[in-house]
Amino acid sequence: MARTVKRWFVLLAAVSLLLVNAMPAAASPAPYESYNYNYWKEAVPSPDAYLPERTLSGRDLGISEFKDPGDMNVSPSGLIYILDSGNSRIVVLAPDFKLLRVIDGFMMDGSKETFNLPGGLFVDEQERIYVADTGNGRVVVLDGEGTLIQTITKPESDILSTQFQFQPLKLTVDHVGRVYVVAQGVYEGIMQFDESGKFIGYVGTNKVERDYGEYIWRMLSTKAQRAQMVLFVPTEFSNADIDHKGFVYATNIDPGSNEPIKRLNPSGEDVLKRFGYYDVKGDIRFRNNPGPSKLIDVKVLGDGMYSVLDATQNRVFTYDDEGHLLYIYGGKGNQVGTLKTPVAIEQSGEHHLVLDRGKNNLVVYEPTRFGARVNEAVALHYRGEDTEAVNIWREVLKLNANYDIAYIGIGKSLLMEKKNEEALSYFELGMDRKSYSVAFKRHRREMMKEHFGTFLTAAIALIVILILTRVTVKWRRRRQVDREAGFH
Amino acid sequence: MKQDFIKFPLHLIFHPIDAFWDLKSDNRGRLFVAFAALALTIVMMILQKQYAGFLVNYIDPRTINSIIEIATVAVPFFLWCMANWAVTTLMEGEGKFKEIVLATGYSLIPVILIYAPMIVISRFMVQEETAFYYLFNSIAFFWFVLLLFIGMMTVHQYTVIRTIITMVLTLIVMGIIVFLGALVFSMLQQLYEFGYNIYRELIFRT
Repeated sequence: MARTVKRWFVLLAAVSLLLVNAMPAAASPAPYESYNYNYWKEAVPSPDAYLPERTLSGRDLGISEFKDPGDMNVSPSGLIYILDSGNSRIVVLAPDFKLLRVIDGFMMDGSKETFNLPGGLFVDEQERIYVADTGNGRVVVLDGEGTLIQTITKPESDILSTQFQFQPLKLTVDHVGRVYVVAQGVYEGIMQFDESGKFIGYVGTNKVERDYGEYIWRMLSTKAQRAQMVLFVPTEFSNADIDHKGFVYATNIDPGSNEPIKRLNPSGEDVLKRFGYYDVKGDIRFRNNPGPSKLIDVKVLGDGMYSVLDATQNRVFTYDDEGHLLYIYGGKGNQVGTLKTPVAIEQSGEHHLVLDRGKNNLVVYEPTRFGARVNEAVALHYRGEDTEAVNIWREVLKLNANYDIAYIGIGKSLLMEKKNEEALSYFELGMDRKSYSVAFKRHRREMMKEHFGTFLTAAIALIVILILTRVTVKWRRRRQVDREAGFH
Repeated sequence: MKQDFIKFPLHLIFHPIDAFWDLKSDNRGRLFVAFAALALTIVMMILQKQYAGFLVNYIDPRTINSIIEIATVAVPFFLWCMANWAVTTLMEGEGKFKEIVLATGYSLIPVILIYAPMIVISRFMVQEETAFYYLFNSIAFFWFVLLLFIGMMTVHQYTVIRTIITMVLTLIVMGIIVFLGALVFSMLQQLYEFGYNIYRELIFRT
């Protein structure tokens, strides 16, 4: 009998162990610590904005494993295109992550052509696939089914040297079909091709930062020494994306730059708004980290927001159109949700997708309540619907009372409603001195208008009293003198 | 009372050349006033950090520490007086130590007089007007420097060039004093540690 009881106990214990392991991981916190920077440039803990939902590998899709995937793009219609560079194929997924088809080559001039270590991929509104076929030195344009439309090969131009090697790495295409190519070893900027594949020119050169110490050092050194020194050339771009207005967002990996993200207007000038407290450059403090963020991909999310992918700490930084850092997620590691060698970030509906070359999989992040609310409020603010945004900002503040942008958002809406005095305190909490000044100016004028009568009455009364006392004092003194002189 | 403690200092900041001479020859200066000026300057510095308007106040409220505020004003003050005394003794200055302290203390008065209203006014300023705040703060500083200069010149009976040289030398000597102080402090600390280690060693062995 005792033996049976014992046996039952053992069985129960085993089952309970199994059950513990089978507990759903839905409530588990993120495998990374979310944080954000406050006004004083300190990293303070923040609620998670995005949580990993799942990962997708080649086997999950029912095909062979990915091998060094290089880029990914979600087409405007929602299809997910993964450029599986190592296997020289393009994997197309439906918005629900089901495999649609695999493109592993195309027919050109009657023969089958394949890709050679392709680096970048872009899909436009007409579902045309642009592939930066790095190894073959060309850009291949395919239609949705994988039939060739055209190729863009090494451009012929007077401004290019004859030894120029055309090795496209990443690309993006605007809605009239101009192709922007980030090519290897090209320091002059992003190469721009027209819709027929003709080279137009460069846009958006990175400026070389002048180092005066180095400059003096150069003047002092001999010619032989100078020849051995490092050349100061502009850095290359690392990636590019385009927003619906046709502005190209580009990232570079210059570690010394304070402007690693650029928003290029059609004439190639950087027009990114940087109105936040600090530079738009990923991590701004890295005491124990291996250095500044190395931004390798940028994704325009819509409503002015954009996300950048940092390859130093494997994190994703999202900014709004004014350059405020909204949230940070991701991190280094081997769990689901942390990344090994991230290469590309994309957005599919509400989800964020990050392609991990190190783990050969795709990580799907879904927004938390906090993240979703922030996105919603930022979008409303971007569209000018600040009054609607306020309620959402208030909800965000319930989830994170240290969220400065929410205070500023509420303040701005109050300012619109002419509630200047209330707005003041919100701007002070959000440390937005510019808006505070505007609110204060209005508030001051109101107060002046309201109390000008009182103020003037008091001032006149004061002056009258002063004059009267002076006169009295004088009169008394004279009387005293007169009395002493015996006039009275 | 009023003559010595209020009227004379106010007269001094507007007519420094006359007044510093009166301070020296007629013994008009009061140490109490000099130290009161120092104390009030410290108070103004603290008040400014705490209460200046949001638009001009870039201080992280968590970093305000009154002890440090006191030290950042009082230590340079006395360091200046000592260094100046040391320098001018060698350079045939006629000023006594007390006179140096008096001149330095009295020079701080404009800082107090300008800071106090500016703290209040800054709370009613908008961004465009903050320029005035910074302007007046700089005026306070330059006024202080000017008074200090005239004070030193009068107290030590120097020429202009000589005063400038002494003032620069004073700054250098201040640096040297700080350096020596730090050196002595660290040596003492090491000496203490050495002694303490020997003591521990003995306790441990016996």
